Amino acid sequence: MTDVRRRLTAAILAFGSLAFVSVLAAPLIGTTPISLRRVFDGSIPFADNVDAQIFFIARLPRALAGAAVGATLAAAGVVFQALLRNPLATPFTLGVSAGAALGAMLAITLRLHLSLWGVSAVTAASFIGSLGAVAIVYAMARARHRGFSTNILLLAGVTLNAFFSALILFVQYLADSAEALRTMRWLMGDLDIAGYGPLLAALPLCAVAFVAFAWLPRPLNLLSLDTDAAASRGVDVLRVQRVAFFSASMATGAAVSLGGPIGFIGIIVPHLVRLIVGADHRVVLPASALFGAAFLVAADVVARTAMAPVELPVGIITALVGGPFFLWLLVRQR
Amino acid sequence: MGHEASCWGLGAGYWALGARIVTLIAAMTVAGHALAPGTGAQQQPTRIVSLVPSATEMLFAMGAGPRVAAVSSYDRFPPEVEPLPRVGALVDPDVERILSLRPDLVIAYASQTDLLAQLRRAGIPVYSYRHGSLADIASGMRGLGTRIGVPAEAERAAAALERGLAEVRASVAGRPRPRTLLVIGREPQSLRALSVSGGFGFLHDLLDLAGGDNVFGDVKRESMMVATETILAKQPDVILELHYSDSASRETEARERDVWALLPGVPAVRNGRVRLLYGGELVVPGPRVVLTARAFARALR
Amino acid sequence: MLRADSVTYLHDRGGGAAPPLLPDAGRFAQPGVQGVTLRVERGHVVGILGPNGSGKTTLLRLLAGMLRPESGTVTLNGRDLASLARPALARSIAVVPQETHLAFDYSVLEIALMGRYPHLGTFELEGPRDVAIAREALAATGTLALERRSFATLSGGEKQRVVIASALAQQAEILLLDEPTASLDLGYQFDVAALLARLNRERELTIVVATHDLNFAASLCRSIVMLSEGRVVAAGPTGDTLTSMSIQALYGVVADVYPHHAAGHLTVVPLRRVRRD
Repeated sequence: MTDVRRRLTAAILAFGSLAFVSVLAAPLIGTTPISLRRVFDGSIPFADNVDAQIFFIARLPRALAGAAVGATLAAAGVVFQALLRNPLATPFTLGVSAGAALGAMLAITLRLHLSLWGVSAVTAASFIGSLGAVAIVYAMARARHRGFSTNILLLAGVTLNAFFSALILFVQYLADSAEALRTMRWLMGDLDIAGYGPLLAALPLCAVAFVAFAWLPRPLNLLSLDTDAAASRGVDVLRVQRVAFFSASMATGAAVSLGGPIGFIGIIVPHLVRLIVGADHRVVLPASALFGAAFLVAADVVARTAMAPVELPVGIITALVGGPFFLWLLVRQR
Repeated sequence: MGHEASCWGLGAGYWALGARIVTLIAAMTVAGHALAPGTGAQQQPTRIVSLVPSATEMLFAMGAGPRVAAVSSYDRFPPEVEPLPRVGALVDPDVERILSLRPDLVIAYASQTDLLAQLRRAGIPVYSYRHGSLADIASGMRGLGTRIGVPAEAERAAAALERGLAEVRASVAGRPRPRTLLVIGREPQSLRALSVSGGFGFLHDLLDLAGGDNVFGDVKRESMMVATETILAKQPDVILELHYSDSASRETEARERDVWALLPGVPAVRNGRVRLLYGGELVVPGPRVVLTARAFARALR
Repeated sequence: MLRADSVTYLHDRGGGAAPPLLPDAGRFAQPGVQGVTLRVERGHVVGILGPNGSGKTTLLRLLAGMLRPESGTVTLNGRDLASLARPALARSIAVVPQETHLAFDYSVLEIALMGRYPHLGTFELEGPRDVAIAREALAATGTLALERRSFATLSGGEKQRVVIASALAQQAEILLLDEPTASLDLGYQFDVAALLARLNRERELTIVVATHDLNFAASLCRSIVMLSEGRVVAAGPTGDTLTSMSIQALYGVVADVYPHHAAGHLTVVPLRRVRRD
């Protein structure tokens, strides 16, 4: 039994059970007490069984969405940090979320009432917006030369973020207050997806990304050394960078369109996991995905119970936990 | 560490954006709906600039419409305001434009403190506008009428308003009071970002008057976000949903109503008592609240 | 045998007058090389000398197969590098960069194990044999005692030796090093030179080293290639190539070159700067 195999097994067992328990427990916790026996009592018609409705319509999809979004953002954070060789990168660094926010906001302001494949216009528009941002950033990173400069990627992402934020503020300024309120609410993240439709739409995209994520950890380890060092050890650097960029961006876009730009998950989770399991991406990536799922599901339980019946945006909870943690991390690094 | 700092700046950008919007919204909710006398010279104003749509409607209701020289960018009613100059709104008042119109009274939200100070410095009389309940609308009209020198007309309009409301109240007296969920906003085509009325503010008061029991009447807030779980738990008999566009196509309306099918266990959904109301007057706490009260009463019947 | 036949690579050279916006972009505007021909015999140690911007690093990257020549070929034992898949190439040629800055904090053993990349399948984890090879490589560079340490906590010389160990774990026949002593103090420079000499002697490792350190080259290299503005200006056995004349031509520095008896190799003593022609 080699070291990495042992650590991988231990990490997956530990973080996996954490994720499993949180997804299992979350639907049982809430402001309305429900009885599990009633939930699974087949003799009561579903339409009359409020407990079952609360469990299956309100809480379960919410817990599953939290797990999917948390896992995706945390894993995408790991990939972006390795791709950009910058431990403080987040899934939103390259403008994916700003693009998604712009898309969502336009859909809100223009009052689009279309729905595509059972997905609301806001969700669809935010995903399209994120793809737009990805395309622009990629074109920028490729424009200057034949390589794939992560520095230009970073600069393009930062600039795009600022530019999109300005556009958002501009459109926001022209919009009605009700629309401004809804955009603001969207920006704070929301996992109350009420039903399984949006989840089913986002899952295939996340699944494709996770297939790529399974292939990435080893080359990402080498990339953390140096791109030249990676190339000389047999890594096809350009291909790895491209796969990492597109898979992580697409996954982020899907997660953001499902739950909004929920901050800090993509950075706290990978860092906490690295503190525990070390830097090896073969362990960090799956462990972060599992821990991200557990973390966001737990944060969402807090969001819906802390001030009930008023619903707190889950992004506020993650930020309240994440902000101080991030500062601590910065201080600790020096 | 240069890049790291810039990466971080991004996330902060979002929250800065969020914070700005929060301030904006806070200003909107605090500002609201009844009039408190401001300061200024007490002669009859003839060139009035109104930044407050409900005050504009009040002025027209008391026959002072011809004295309105300019309105906010949100004003849509009455039709006479269409050709009037626009001078911005709550967050973006156009001070230069207002000054150039040489008004002798400016009605602004009490939260627009910068604007009010600037106008006072320019010697322009102002009338500031503050939060209130349904009952404050009529008293606000009387106050405004007194301020512009038409107390009799204002009294007549306020009395008409009160009579209209009393008629609605009488019409529902003795009827069963359905437990009602009053939805004031959500994402189109889904049940996400649900914003509902709490037990505060003119919309809650109107619902109460029109014979509905607000399921969130015990929450002392004007509006709030709630989870679908809470709605399932509250089991409302009727769902009233406000849409602020003047109308919608039959298909759009049907499609938006069908969204509620996601919660089949809610009595309102099961019994087909999800009502969508359309109209710009639904957000304006002015003389047209009588229309809203009637619409609520009809929808609850 | 590693051969370069009239290799030219001028990509990006002089194309953009504007300075690169970012440090990373600079590497794409690297100095070119033109019509370079050289051969590295099996088991030899070859030094590449040349002033800044003469194309040493570019030549090294061409020899490693990380850049494709625009014209000419680089062959390894008769096979064009361009025809080899990257992992196959990495099993034959290992590269030690000038400096290594890790984005994340790996342990010394993990760094050494990264050398096993080209030997493993896509989803394969390192087995006991890989660990044994990596530890043996650490032992060869005298860093096995550090295997549990975090790389970031090591001194410059320790880091360089660990990176060399990682390259050794690749089990390649050729080791290319880019200024391996550039950032090291005298003691570590000495250690690295001794290590490379020993690896060459004991494992018959073929070594190509680009360096500014003439005494380091004199102590280690069997032959020398001198580059100036992307062209080979002198090449041959160290004793014939490393002369006062060639050094003056290359660097514009008058130097005394003589065999040092205690050191056992040629020694270069720079005397004064002259205008280069």
